[in-house]
Amino acid sequence: MTATSTLYETRIKALRATKLEHTEEKLARYGSFDVDDHGYIPWTEPIAFEPVSSHPSGGCWGMKDIGESFRRWLEVHPVYIHPQSAIAGAWVYKGIPGVAGFELAEGMGAPDSPKEREARTLANYPRNWRPEDRPTHLYEKLVAYNTYSPGIGHPNHFGPDMTIGLSLGWGGLLEKVRRYRGLNSPAEGAADTTFYDGEENLILGMQAWIRRHVDHARAMARLEDDEATRENLETIAQINEHLVHGAPRTFREAIQFLGWFQCIDRMWALGGALGQIDELLRPWYEADTGSGRETDESIIWQLASLFFNDSHYSQIGGQGPDGRDLTSRMSFLVLEAMHRIRIPVNVALRVHDGMDRSLLRKALEFMAADGTGVDFALSGGLDEGFMRNGYPAGLARMRAKVGCNWTALPGTEYGSQDGTRLCLATPLLLAIDDALAADPPAPDVATMDALWQRYVHHLGLAVATVKAGKDIHMERQADNYPEIVLNLFCHGPIERGLDASAGGLDIIDLAFDGIGLATTADSFAAIEQRVTQEKKLSLAELRRHLEDDFESAEPVRLMLATVRRYGSGGSRADEWARRIAELWTSLVRDTPTERGHWTCMPGLFSHGATSGFGRLLGATPNGRRAGAPVSHSANPDPGFVPGGGVALTAKANAVASTQSHWGNTTPLQVEIDTGLMNGMGGTDAVADFIMAHNRQGGTLINMNIVRKEDVIEAHEDPASHPDLMIRVTGYSAYFSSLSREYRQPIVDRIIAGG
Amino acid sequence: MAETRGPVSGVVTDIQRFSIHDGPGIRTTVFVKGCPLRCFWCHNPEALAPQPQLQCFPDRCIGCGDCVDACPQGAHAMRDGAHRFDRSRCTGCGLCARTCYARALVMAGEVKSADEVVEEVLRDTAFYETSGGGVTISGGEPLQQPRFTRAVLAACREAGVHTAIETAGHVARDRLLAVLPVTDLVMMDIKTMDPELHRDATGVSHERILESARLVGESGTPLIIRTPVVPGVNDTVESIDAIAGFAAGLRSLVSYELLRFHMMAGSKYAALGMACPAAELTPPDDELMDRLTAAAARHAIAVTHT
Ligand code: SF4
Ligand code: SF4
Repeated sequence: MTATSTLYETRIKALRATKLEHTEEKLARYGSFDVDDHGYIPWTEPIAFEPVSSHPSGGCWGMKDIGESFRRWLEVHPVYIHPQSAIAGAWVYKGIPGVAGFELAEGMGAPDSPKEREARTLANYPRNWRPEDRPTHLYEKLVAYNTYSPGIGHPNHFGPDMTIGLSLGWGGLLEKVRRYRGLNSPAEGAADTTFYDGEENLILGMQAWIRRHVDHARAMARLEDDEATRENLETIAQINEHLVHGAPRTFREAIQFLGWFQCIDRMWALGGALGQIDELLRPWYEADTGSGRETDESIIWQLASLFFNDSHYSQIGGQGPDGRDLTSRMSFLVLEAMHRIRIPVNVALRVHDGMDRSLLRKALEFMAADGTGVDFALSGGLDEGFMRNGYPAGLARMRAKVGCNWTALPGTEYGSQDGTRLCLATPLLLAIDDALAADPPAPDVATMDALWQRYVHHLGLAVATVKAGKDIHMERQADNYPEIVLNLFCHGPIERGLDASAGGLDIIDLAFDGIGLATTADSFAAIEQRVTQEKKLSLAELRRHLEDDFESAEPVRLMLATVRRYGSGGSRADEWARRIAELWTSLVRDTPTERGHWTCMPGLFSHGATSGFGRLLGATPNGRRAGAPVSHSANPDPGFVPGGGVALTAKANAVASTQSHWGNTTPLQVEIDTGLMNGMGGTDAVADFIMAHNRQGGTLINMNIVRKEDVIEAHEDPASHPDLMIRVTGYSAYFSSLSREYRQPIVDRIIAGG
Repeated sequence: MAETRGPVSGVVTDIQRFSIHDGPGIRTTVFVKGCPLRCFWCHNPEALAPQPQLQCFPDRCIGCGDCVDACPQGAHAMRDGAHRFDRSRCTGCGLCARTCYARALVMAGEVKSADEVVEEVLRDTAFYETSGGGVTISGGEPLQQPRFTRAVLAACREAGVHTAIETAGHVARDRLLAVLPVTDLVMMDIKTMDPELHRDATGVSHERILESARLVGESGTPLIIRTPVVPGVNDTVESIDAIAGFAAGLRSLVSYELLRFHMMAGSKYAALGMACPAAELTPPDDELMDRLTAAAARHAIAVTHT
């Protein structure tokens, strides 16, 4: 190893050590957090800050107040530079205190902490809106359908086009804002200019914050004894001095620009989307390594610094609009940087039929060594699904996986993804109630057709309620909680003077995610077999057991739980799963929202919310006890293979059979034992498995490669494995940072084997 | 072998998907029941006897007593709230297992039609295509049920799926000949070249086994010879050298694989009410496996070990 590569190696190790320290400190202060790292640093000193308010309540909403508050916040926000990082900057809280409902005291942990979810009254929902704008008239129905996450007020969750920022820099963005303000409101006072005021304030605040980092870097350098570190700090000062106004000129400046973006994107709405990072950086990489300014080792360190800064989502691999494979040396360096720094990082590898298999192999090798790594976004299902909406293949290929489960076109597609979740199981419990409510009981009380019709009715009402909420979201979001950060990095908002959520973007497809498919499908199958066919118990008896949570009825519970389950292949439960998935898809997709005529895009994805949803759901006919987690995305429940075993292919077939095929995802979650992966032919088999699921029309694979024993030990004593990383769903996190209830389903999956 | 009419069925203990160590690529392995050998280290005791057997897992029992009513032989009883099972009365009819929702009673071996099995195998076609995998019939001894094995393999092959068998080779020549034409790969175990030792360790002579290996070699069907390395049986250089020497003379040999013995089947023996004779054996270490591999490789054949 050369002296310089040792230097970079040492720096990366220092960043990794700091990340572990930060995580420990965050855990000690805020308890567990069930979301990904988000890059914020623990901060204890008070920050003198008052947001601007023109609302009688003293709250801060709307572009004008938010823009001013954001600028003020950046003017007082702490400065942070890790002396071993290639870039400056880090953010401290999960929001701006007092702005848009964010309260410091409760906002430090998970944004939807268990406490908050438990309350689940939807009171004050959404908190980032003015009280008078909140959709109180929908609360009752939403609660009845166990839909506490209907996606109203849901910010970000679409993808920026970072080439806009990288080519303009903050100065160029400011000029752009001013130019379009002039074009769209030429006469002073002729139009409402609050939109541009807000954007301008944000940029001015950003520039002030960067300037303070320049001073801070110089001050640190003066006190620094180590020559290499002093030089590093001086370089940080120089590049940032330029970046206050100028567009990035070098690879390192581009990384620094992305770092600043990551900070304010998170600060604002916990935004976390970056883009096709290998292609984004390739031109700078080629120029700077070509000229000898950088080497692969220095590039890896700079990428690691960006990952240390934040765990924003990005993608590597995939195809250009013309179908050519995008794998480049940069793609491999991104993997290498992830592997070297070994902290939670969210990079997806885009898989397509003609891809460079060596990139896939490399990703898997690193996963086997590190336990976690990339996830796999599959063009097979994603592109084909998106094209069914009428879009050309070239456009479909440009969508990048930049979120937990979702893909988006850079800067042109508003999907408001990964925040609208509906429970598929609750409508079944309501259907059973309906069937038994008829007095005298309807003669059809125990036929599956009748039950299905009632289920269709209730799920339809649940979807319609959420669609009504979506109309309200689209009407009021911009006025309450504008996309002040992402607007700058999209095609349209600045040009039109319209927020991304209010017509700023061209393509609008609002994502809906169903949750609890296996729970529901297995429940239908259990009723069909045990109640209607074998007549082991009546529907009324079943409901009594559900109400009593199977109290003193363990044999009944087991009888219901041992019906052949979804995933076993060719079973009735598999049939029900398909039928429910088709119904879900058609209810969501076939009709747009009533007022705005917005198209909705169905998928099946539970994020980590299986426990949250489960907690308020009563016992279900599949033998699941009240309050237990519901099933994960469209995955079969653990133990669905009667004889046990690693039924990865069975699982993949099940998930492939319930895809919605409209461009949203229905991810496959798999846990693979390290032994199997490292054994003879393991890596190839897993690579072939991924390629096959892509061909099957799969959309996303979230994979962990773990030693079962490590996970069990870490579950009992999280401190025993502080650096064990796990892909929870679409994001990876330190296992020890998750709450026990978040860890439990992961452990169950791993124990069941795959 | 004469084809008889009617649907073909076999006794199957398990169908394992995403199986990656039973031939090339991602495979589905069908385990059939019944084996003429009695290797004392057997991993699959449930596959030894040809007929379905009841397995009993007492720690799963919830004491519901349903099995007592279900059994026509009176093999189950509840005494002081605890379940008792008298294996000597059991005929293996399977009725009790159907009522035991706690899965404390589980049948080892189920009669399945070849069509049913093929349907399940073909579910993973997508994975065979990307990996070059396919179906493997293992056991037990697949050639003990040649009609069934042939029917499954023939149908899979017709569907474009790669076919393989794992056999101990101790079968009549016509059975092997019946299956070979529909088989793309044969994996055959040879435990030792020492006739006495072979009889002691497995209960049968190795004559037929070697003859089967020669027959496959001559047929041209790709052949992998495998040896489970078992302490006290064949964990010496001399022993492996002799097997490798024999394997090297087989015309269609693809490779020779040394499989490290692992005793993982203790609970399976207990569930069947059987004693586990190899429970005390310790698996061979890496150093030994490397040494044996090197010895075998001297015969200029491809050798791997697990
Ligand atoms: S049916 Fe099963 S659970 Fe019930 S007593 Fe018999 S063995 Fe135990
Ligand atoms: S398998 Fe049949 S005979 Fe044996 S215990 Fe069960 S019911 Fe009785």
